[in-house]
This record gives sequence, C-alpha cells and structure tokens, in this order.
Amino acid sequence: MRVDPFYVTNLVGSLDQAQASEQQLSSELSSGVSINSLSQNPVGAGQNVLLLNQIQQDDSFTQSSSLVTGQLQVADSALGSVVTQLTQAISLATGANNGTMNPSNVTSVSNQIAGILDEVTSLANTSYQGQYIFAGGQTSNVPFATSTATTPAVTKYSGDEDVNYLESPNGQRIQLNVPGNQIFLGTGSNSVFGALNALIADYSTGMVDTTQAVSDTNELTSALNYVSQQRVTIDNSMTQLTAASEAVTNVQTQLTTAQTDLMQADIPTVATQLSLAETQQTALEDVIAQLNSTSSDLFSKLPG
Amino acid sequence: MGTINAAFSVMSGALDADQQALNVVANNVANANTPGYTRETPDWQENQPLSIGGVSIGQGVSETGSTSERDRVLESRLDQQQQLAASSGSRLTALDTLQALFTPDSGSTSSTAGDIGSDITKLFDSFASLEANPTNNALRQSVLSSAGMLAGDVSNAAASLNSQRAALDQETAGVASQVNSLTSAIAQLNQQIQTNSPSVDAGTLEDQRQQDLSQLSQLIGINQITTENNGLAVTTTSGQLLLSQGTSYQLSTGMVNGVTDFFLGNTDITAQLATGGGSLGGELTARDQDIPGVLHSLDQLAYSISTSVNQQNNAGTALDGQMGTAANPLYIFSQPTAVAGSALGMSVVMTDPNQIAAAGAGSGTGDNSNATAMAAMANREIVSGQTPSNYYSNFVTTLGSTVSGVQTENTALNASVTQLQTQNNALSGVNLNDEASLMTTFERSYQAASQVFAMMNTIMASALNLGDQTTVS
Repeated sequence: MRVDPFYVTNLVGSLDQAQASEQQLSSELSSGVSINSLSQNPVGAGQNVLLLNQIQQDDSFTQSSSLVTGQLQVADSALGSVVTQLTQAISLATGANNGTMNPSNVTSVSNQIAGILDEVTSLANTSYQGQYIFAGGQTSNVPFATSTATTPAVTKYSGDEDVNYLESPNGQRIQLNVPGNQIFLGTGSNSVFGALNALIADYSTGMVDTTQAVSDTNELTSALNYVSQQRVTIDNSMTQLTAASEAVTNVQTQLTTAQTDLMQADIPTVATQLSLAETQQTALEDVIAQLNSTSSDLFSKLPG
Repeated sequence: MGTINAAFSVMSGALDADQQALNVVANNVANANTPGYTRETPDWQENQPLSIGGVSIGQGVSETGSTSERDRVLESRLDQQQQLAASSGSRLTALDTLQALFTPDSGSTSSTAGDIGSDITKLFDSFASLEANPTNNALRQSVLSSAGMLAGDVSNAAASLNSQRAALDQETAGVASQVNSLTSAIAQLNQQIQTNSPSVDAGTLEDQRQQDLSQLSQLIGINQITTENNGLAVTTTSGQLLLSQGTSYQLSTGMVNGVTDFFLGNTDITAQLATGGGSLGGELTARDQDIPGVLHSLDQLAYSISTSVNQQNNAGTALDGQMGTAANPLYIFSQPTAVAGSALGMSVVMTDPNQIAAAGAGSGTGDNSNATAMAAMANREIVSGQTPSNYYSNFVTTLGSTVSGVQTENTALNASVTQLQTQNNALSGVNLNDEASLMTTFERSYQAASQVFAMMNTIMASALNLGDQTTVS
C-alpha cells in the first residue's frame, strides 16, 4: 500500500498543535486564570457573570449597612439622651407637685423644664451628615420648632411620616428611621412636647394647680415610655442589620470561593499539562529530524 | 522466423522505451514538491507480435507515454471538504476576534474594567448604596459614573462590532476578483484540455485545472460537473453556473444596505454563498449572522436597561423636590426610540446628580423608596423576560457555545481534510523512494538491454566472419 510521502508535513501540523497548546497553558499560568475566552468554557463564563454579580451585590450591601449603622447609632444615642432629659424633667415636676416649694422655686422648675425642652428639641432635630434623622422624608428641613405665641406653647412638626428601608440582597427590608412625630408627638397622651410645654405653663406663674400638674406629669411619664418603645424599633434595626450583614458576608465568602475555583487556573494541573506538551514537542522534533535526515532516503543509498 | 537483425530492433526499441521511462521518473523527481503535481507512471505496451509461418514472434516493447495517477472522486471529495473547512475556519477567525470583546472577568479588581457584566452589577449596586443615604452627593455621583461606565462599555463594544463587520465586508469584497480570475483560468484550461486530449487524462493541464479548483474551493462553495471531451462545468453549491466548458460567468459586487452583496448576472446570490462554504461563506456568515446577532443582543440589553432605568427615575422625586415632566423628563440615559442601534447610542444624558430621583413620587427628598425600586430592578425581569445579569450571563454562554461549537466543527473538518489529503497524497504524491526504486529498475533494464545488444553484436560478428574471428570485431 502506498503511503502519503508528505507525512512529515502532517507531523509539523502536530508540532504546531503542541506549540499552540503550550502557548495556551503558559497564558493560563501567567494570568492565573483558567477561562481566558468565552469558548474555553461557555457555561463557566456564564456562571462567572452571575457569581460576580452576587458577590458585588453582597459587597455593596456590606458597605451600605456600615453606612446606615452610623445613622442608626446616632438616632439611638439621641433617643437615649432624650430619655435621660425626660427622666430629669419628671423628677423636677414630681418635686414641684408635692406642694412644699415656694413660688420662686416653682418658677425655677418651670425654667429648668424649659431648658430641658430646648435640649429635647435640639435632640429631636439631630442631623447625620447634614440630614435631619427624625424628619421622615423631609430630611433637609429642621423638623421641630416651638411657637410661644400661645400658652402653653406649641411645638410643631414640619417633617412627614416617611419611613426608609434598606433592602438586603435576599430581599429582607430593614427599617432605617422612625418619623419624628411618631416619637415626640405620639398619639393621645404620649406627646413629649405636649407634656413638656404643659408643665412649663403649669409652673411658670409660681402657683401650682396640683391636679393639672400631676396629670401633665403623668402624661410626660407615659410619653417617656412611648419614646423608649420607639427606640426599640431603632435597636431592632441595628440587630437585624448586624445579622443580615454577617449572613451576607458568609454567603459572599462562599461565593468568592466558588468563583475562585471556577476561574482560577489549577497550577499543578496546568504545570503537568505543560510539561507533557513540552515532552510531546521534543519527541515530535526528534522524529521529524530523524525522518528528514538524508540517510533515510533511498536515493542516498544508490551508487554514484 | 526471427533474425538477429530483428533482435537488434527489439533491443533498440527496449533502450528507447527505458529512456522514456527514465524521463518520466526524472520528471516526477523534478516535480516532487510542485503544488498540485500528480505523480505519473510510464505506460508500457507490448508490440504486436509477428506471425511468420504460423510462429508468433515477439516484437519487444514500446513506451507510449505516461498516466497521471489521479482519483477524480477523491479530488472532488477533498475539494468539498476544503470548502467546509475553509468556511468554518474563516468564521472561527471572525468569532475569535468577536469573543475577545467579552473576555471573562476573573474577579480581580484590575480585570473588571470594560466588563459589561460587572458594569451592570455596579449600576444597580450604586442605586442600592443610595438607599442608605439618598441625599448623599458622593453616592449620587457614583450612580452617574456607574451609568457612564456601563453606557461607555456597551457603546464601545457595539462600535467595535460595527468596525469588525466593516473589516469583514472589505475582506469579502476582495474575494470576487479572485474567484473571477480562477474561473477564467479554469475556462481557458477547459478549452486547452478539450482540444489536446478530449478522451484521456490531460496530465499537466489537468493538474493545473485541479489546482485552480482547489484554490477556488478555498474561496467559495462549488459543485463540479464533468462534461463531454474532458470538459468541466462549475456551479456554486446552490447551483448558479460559474463556468461551463470554455466560458466563465463573472461574479460582481454591489453595496446593498451598507454591505457588499454578490451578483451573478442580475441575481443576488449573497445568501446562497453564505451557506455554500469556502472562506467567503464563513466570512459572510460572520458578517450577516454572527455579528448582527451579538449586536442585537447588546441592543436589547441597552434598550431595556436605558428605558427601564429612565422610566423608574422619572417616576420619582429629584433632590430639588421636582418630578419629571413630559417636557423635562428625569432621564439618566439617552432615551432610545427603537431597539436597533440602542447599544451604539447608549450614553448618559444626566449631568446633575441631584436629578437622580431617589425619593418616591411626592415624598420628601430624604425618602429612598425610588432608589430601592431602582436597585430592585437588578432582580427584576426587565430584559426580554430575564434579569439584566441573567440576560448577560446567557448572552456570554450562548456566544461562547457558538464559538466553541465552530471550533469543534473546524477541528473535525480539518482532520477530515488532512485524512483526505493523506489519501490523495498516497495516490498522487511523488514518493522519492518509489522513484529511486523505479529508476534503479529502469536503469537495470536499460543496462540489460545494452548488454543483450552487445552480445548480439558479438553474435552478429561471428555470423559475418563465418568462423574467422579476425575479419569483423
């Protein structure tokens, strides 16, 4: 049977393939990436897009949660101070209500409570990074202002009822704020500002209407309890945020491992493959050199 | 009755025949590396014997020329396979360039630049960050820069696709003249072959014709039909006549819808050529199917993201408390009017980050409900019934599978071409060892004939001298 006399050409083709394979393997080694083009692993390339998407979403959520944690902490500490101030106001009022104080001392209590009102107003107008955190959605305007045109004075809320949420990558909604009117002008007898303004008016003249003052003091106590309840919402959000953030970080770690496994070149395997390809190349070169040597040609054996 | 004279004649004929056979061997060796050359073997013919007085006397041998060792079926099969391999080869080259635009992102920070998948994620993540602090200027600015990054990468990819398509178009346009010169050459060879050797293999002319057919097969898909007197008709794979015997029909080109189309007479045969094979077939497939397909997917992505994001932003309240109006909509991206061209035209038109409507309709500017809604679009099926990331993931998988499929096909076709080439070379290629052996054989035969001739000469001398050895030597 006749054979292809140009079989060396075919061997050179194989040599080209071996070299192409070496080139591919070296590029995997140098870049450390196993999928350098879509056609190398189409499904892997698609998965990679989704994995990176999730990893980046998780990363973004972790960053956002550290941002809002600051805001929630400021809100919590402001409410903590409000509680302290209100407790002090209640103790002052209780002292004034027991009928042992002279009018001048009662007026002084009124002034002290007015100081507390200023303090609480300032706390209710707390801002974080230039935004009023107890103003609902109207974060650019000072939410609370007291008008002394009437007696008792009236503290008005100019914010709104808006509540913001942060959504975690798995869809959990975490409340970020409690509107100021809900905390400080609570429904019915839970209004912090209503009770404080009433007490200031009660003691301003030095003469105490004990029944009215006791009723207003009770109202302040109930308002204080209500503030503490609202503060729980903020604390819950902080707990949720920490938990969600930890969960997301765990998922992110797993996803990053998966993505690394998918995309990273397996160095020992690639190195072994490269070594095999090199051996093949050397073998092919030897064979070609052997076949091309003149002694293998019949013409060289002919006399003359 | 045979005579010594007759024996002389037989021997001189043998010497002539051996010389001619050696000439054939020499020609084979000389053309051992000539592309398209087909090995020739000497034709030997026994001379008609003489019959004298009822006794048949052999009259020696004649060398009547040579025969090219050719298998037309194998050659035509090889041509066909070459057409398919050339087609998938040129398509693969185009697709390799194409897929380089969408190199997978390894996940390290340096590799994310230019990756549309990461850009999509970053855009929606920037809205998610805005949820945390909807009035923050830096976060708003980062929404615009993420949007700009996505728009820039998408429109760059679309522009690169368009320029790749234009480059392919230029390549295809040049093929027509090559095809025309080959078909003219084949037509001329047809005429020469029909004149010189209408009934038997035309040897060198036939080699040249086959070589031209092989080159033509690299360019376009063809069918070969053998006609009378060793003639040949060639049609495209879909049956349009390119040449018949001595006449060739010229392929012409013209611009149709911005790309080069191919005409035979007045018939536009571009679509047939695309499926026919040859490098032109592959290039046309890439130009008219692969690149437009990828471009369409990008257009769809750009259109859906642009319109959805614009619509959602327009439904909210900007930082200055304004809502979008028909005259002044709150658009982040330039609003596309149609899917086609959306990718190339994708750009960010919003310049003031305060125009990003993080707040819901009618809400205070500290509200984040619209930012939440925009971030949630990352997981909404806004692009052809898929989330943007899923859509892009499917897009790269589909593109990668196409390229990988063509690669596999190309490897298989090349292997089959090699196999056929090996078969054809085994039959028609010049094997120098064979030629050395043949040369030795003919040389020996020539030496033997010379020796016999010398012996005859001695015998003749003996006859002429009639026993006296000195008269004639």
